[in-house]
Amino acid sequence: MEKPKIAMYWCSSCGGCEEATLDIAEKILDLANLVDIVLWPVAFDFKEEDVEKLPDESITASLINGGVRLTENEHMVKLLRKKSKIIVAYGACSAWGGVPGLLNLYGEEELFSCVYDEVPTLENPEKVRPQRSTKVDDVELKLPDVLPRLLPIDRVVAVDYYVPGCPPTAEVTWRAVEALLSDNLPPRGSVIGASGKALCDECPLNETKPDKVLIQDLKRPHEVIPDPEKCLLAQGLLCLGPATRGGCQALCVKARMPCTGCFGPLDRVTDYGAKAASFLASIIDFQDEESIEKVIDRLPDPVGTFYRYTLASSSLGGRARRNKP
Amino acid sequence: MIEEPRVGVFVCHCGLNIAGAIDVKKVVEYAKTLPYVADAKEYVFMCSAPGQGLIKEDIKKCDLNRVVVAACSPGMHEATFRASIAEAGLNPYLLEMANIREQCSWVYLDKQKATETAKDLIRMAVAKARLLEALEELRVSVEPTSLVLGGGVAGLRASLDLAERGYRVHLVEKLPTLGGRAARLGKLAHVDIRGADVVGSLISAVTSNLNVTVHVNSELVDLEGSVGTFRAKIRTAPRFVNEKCTLCGECFHICPIEVPNEYEFGLSKRKAIYLPFKEAYPRISVIDPEACTRCGECVKVCEPGAIILDQKGEEVDVAAGAITLATGFQPYEPPEGEYGYRRSEKVLTLFQLERLLDEDGPTGGELKLAGSTPRSLAFIMCVGSLNTTESAHPYCSRMCCASSLKNMLRIKERYPETEIYAIYKDIRTYGRGDEELYERTTERLVKFIRFEAPPKVKLHSDRVDIEVYDTTLQEDLLIPADAVVLAVGMSPSADLDKVRAVVKTGCGPEGFLREAHLKLRPVEAPADGIFLAGSVTSPKNIVESVMAGGATAAKTAALFAKKEVKIEPIIAEVNEEICSGCAICIAMCPYGAISRKEKGQKKVAQVDKALCKACGTCVAACPSGAMQQAGFKDIQVMAQVVALSEKRGG
Amino acid sequence: MSDQFEPKIVLFACNWCTYAAIDLAGTSRMKYPPNFRVIKVMCSGRVDPQFILEAFRNGADGVLVAGCHPGDCHYIEGNVKTLRRMALLRRIVESLGIEKERLRLEWISAAEAAKFVKVAHEMVEQIKALGPLKPSVQVRV
Repeated sequence: MEKPKIAMYWCSSCGGCEEATLDIAEKILDLANLVDIVLWPVAFDFKEEDVEKLPDESITASLINGGVRLTENEHMVKLLRKKSKIIVAYGACSAWGGVPGLLNLYGEEELFSCVYDEVPTLENPEKVRPQRSTKVDDVELKLPDVLPRLLPIDRVVAVDYYVPGCPPTAEVTWRAVEALLSDNLPPRGSVIGASGKALCDECPLNETKPDKVLIQDLKRPHEVIPDPEKCLLAQGLLCLGPATRGGCQALCVKARMPCTGCFGPLDRVTDYGAKAASFLASIIDFQDEESIEKVIDRLPDPVGTFYRYTLASSSLGGRARRNKP
Repeated sequence: MIEEPRVGVFVCHCGLNIAGAIDVKKVVEYAKTLPYVADAKEYVFMCSAPGQGLIKEDIKKCDLNRVVVAACSPGMHEATFRASIAEAGLNPYLLEMANIREQCSWVYLDKQKATETAKDLIRMAVAKARLLEALEELRVSVEPTSLVLGGGVAGLRASLDLAERGYRVHLVEKLPTLGGRAARLGKLAHVDIRGADVVGSLISAVTSNLNVTVHVNSELVDLEGSVGTFRAKIRTAPRFVNEKCTLCGECFHICPIEVPNEYEFGLSKRKAIYLPFKEAYPRISVIDPEACTRCGECVKVCEPGAIILDQKGEEVDVAAGAITLATGFQPYEPPEGEYGYRRSEKVLTLFQLERLLDEDGPTGGELKLAGSTPRSLAFIMCVGSLNTTESAHPYCSRMCCASSLKNMLRIKERYPETEIYAIYKDIRTYGRGDEELYERTTERLVKFIRFEAPPKVKLHSDRVDIEVYDTTLQEDLLIPADAVVLAVGMSPSADLDKVRAVVKTGCGPEGFLREAHLKLRPVEAPADGIFLAGSVTSPKNIVESVMAGGATAAKTAALFAKKEVKIEPIIAEVNEEICSGCAICIAMCPYGAISRKEKGQKKVAQVDKALCKACGTCVAACPSGAMQQAGFKDIQVMAQVVALSEKRGG
Repeated sequence: MSDQFEPKIVLFACNWCTYAAIDLAGTSRMKYPPNFRVIKVMCSGRVDPQFILEAFRNGADGVLVAGCHPGDCHYIEGNVKTLRRMALLRRIVESLGIEKERLRLEWISAAEAAKFVKVAHEMVEQIKALGPLKPSVQVRV
């Protein structure tokens, strides 16, 4: 019997999800025995044309990480969709845009200007900008286009499963792989490998919460040494655990770092950032506008805080475009 | 949804109210194009019998399982249409209304734009309707026991009326005696009977009725639950004397401690062990724990052994279906120095005057101040009311004119030589017989002087001079008087904050408790099952307070007669499959309806259905979408939002 | 442009205060521009910021959230939570490039029909001047 074919691809990615896959450590050998890897640019030498040669839907599952920012990403994602039975959005970027999704707050010109003109470590006196194409000798070399926004891959193709995390933990990854290779596939469109409840469900500090969780100040992690026995949110640290899917075993919180939300929203939530902002604002223990504003002033970047991993998949997807007459 | 939604849309003309400003035909045609709509009809008056009949018939004919009525505000007829569809066999909560009258046809001038708006509103209503779920109304048994706070005339009337109706009453009074303010008045206006005697007859009837349990020296310290199912905790402070007391008076004699007698408004003193007044109920002495030094002298002389210095208080838990707040008012207390208040024996309040004129008072009913009868007496009216001074309330205190005039007449009758001046901002003798009081007082040559700017009181050793600009004479006057009576008004009771902390009900801008509706529901608090009797909501005289007490008894009896209350089922509910027990919701609920419970090794939130008032605040805060509000679920409201962008039909 | 452009404003109205005020405006036959789409909630505290962002996504040019005055909430203090959420949401919405006039929080009691009409006129004028909001809705390539 032929082994199921698996592809792993990266779009606009930091590479962390590739590392995460390797985090499954020894199990990677089991994986290599169980499956036939037909594409994995970081580790194998298969090319695009190898994939094109495959019959449609012959790849059992393609795990794609990274968001779609370049036309090349878009092209490969669409190709893999054609050739695969199952597309898995692996990691925060492919699922919701991830941290690079925050670029959707800026326009293309701002992005290029920052990278090629303004960055302090830059040495670019001639203000060189990348070109779409250039001729070297008689050969035309092309670079992919940058799309107007970074998109989660489900805005480009139909996605069957999501594996959350930035990156997904080893355990989550292995559970996802097991689910994909099982006879009983989970319902299409679901998040696999992680919990169906928010992080508080598995957090050891959940039971230390007072009856009413209310805060009068917001503290940044560098400002305090948290009490290791008490809920971080109740201590005034901005822990997004209540709004974030669990499954990571609360690794960050156990290291006394408040959760930043990398496992994304729960199933019933439409917009992660709005929900997270809603719960956080609700527990600010003041009745008058002035005192409330003072607490919120402690947050220098609300969008970056609440939409750190999910801006690209949020209701507005990023900055609203003005309707220019 | 388990079944395929089949929505019926019913568009009302409301005569010309809607049809005159909106193209109803176009709207009906449009409704038919919407997804999930099985049928759309129009009618002249949908709320009428034939209109409702049309809906019921269509439900059967077209096999409808959801209904949208596009008509007036749900505030008008939601209940009507819910009942209608229930008669046709549908759950009453499968109805959604689109307000195309108050919020569309009556306000938009342009017919075309109004029609477009109506279409949008119907589209949004259909989008929500198809996601509605059948909801069962919760029914809660009503405990037919009432808790009445306050043993004055209003509370006594309320308790008696309820007890006579056959219901149990717990009457809770913070003082060691029943009777309230009225028991400290002398002969009342028009009925010529002492306040204590009038109240005494009420007290007698209440305390001899087996349905009433009286708790004096007691306060409500905790209240949980809601209409039908209140759970109250009543704390009774120790009185240190029990029912063996024969009122022999030996303890009063021997007690070395004297303090000002608050029941005589400071005009005389009482001992640390005392009987509040002759008609007090219960007729047992009481020890003031703050004045008592525990010297034990009284114990030595108490033959029946009724004094127990180490008596402990007690707490009882009471189940009640309704609460009546009848905690009254307090007399306006002028700041020291206002009109000479507290700076001279010659300046007294109306309440103190009542004590002086009462045969049972500190002077045996003789009008004597510092040993002599004043030859002239000036009443300054409207003290503490009508914004006369900086610390005064803006409102009129209603009872002070009639009370003052009554006393002026009485004084003139007994002391015809005494000159009386009535210095007033306004005379409001609105009650029955009050205008005659005013006429008779003028006939008796009481001199009325009207002021705008408050009079100035100058205290001398032998008299009090009052300087006032008389607006009628348009002259400055100087009135020398032997004594001054300040006709003080009514202020909200100082204890009201304490009461409100337990009974969680709102107050108005003037500090009195607020009623559900000033005109139509004057004795009900906004929250179900809580009633307000007497001067706790605004200044009232005895007649008005007694009426209010009776009204609350009627309201309470009506509630008890129903035996059950229906709780609107649009309450919050937790999906335990999703809930992580993060506890964010708990701090959101002002009714304490949410708590965490164990579920296996983990925690989840839970909602007490009887306490949830269905505001939805916890739902918006829930970070995972586990908390939802029946009838206002995220998907239901979101459907209305999303329907905004869907294409318009024809 | 502003002659033709008719803003669509979603109005989340609390049942006890604002919805009653809007009804009262109707009963009193007051007139205001036909730009509002009212969504009734029992309390302004029910208004989830997700609804507001979805409204902008789905063609709303403005969103008005209105409830009882602080201290007067029928449910004691649902409106206080609304105040807190809107304080934070306002900043997020502005960072997302939506002009602050498009999201408004008002306290309108059941008797304040005139206030509602005034706010309605004001908001429509302001948004007409700003033009339609076209958030870049999920671009599909």
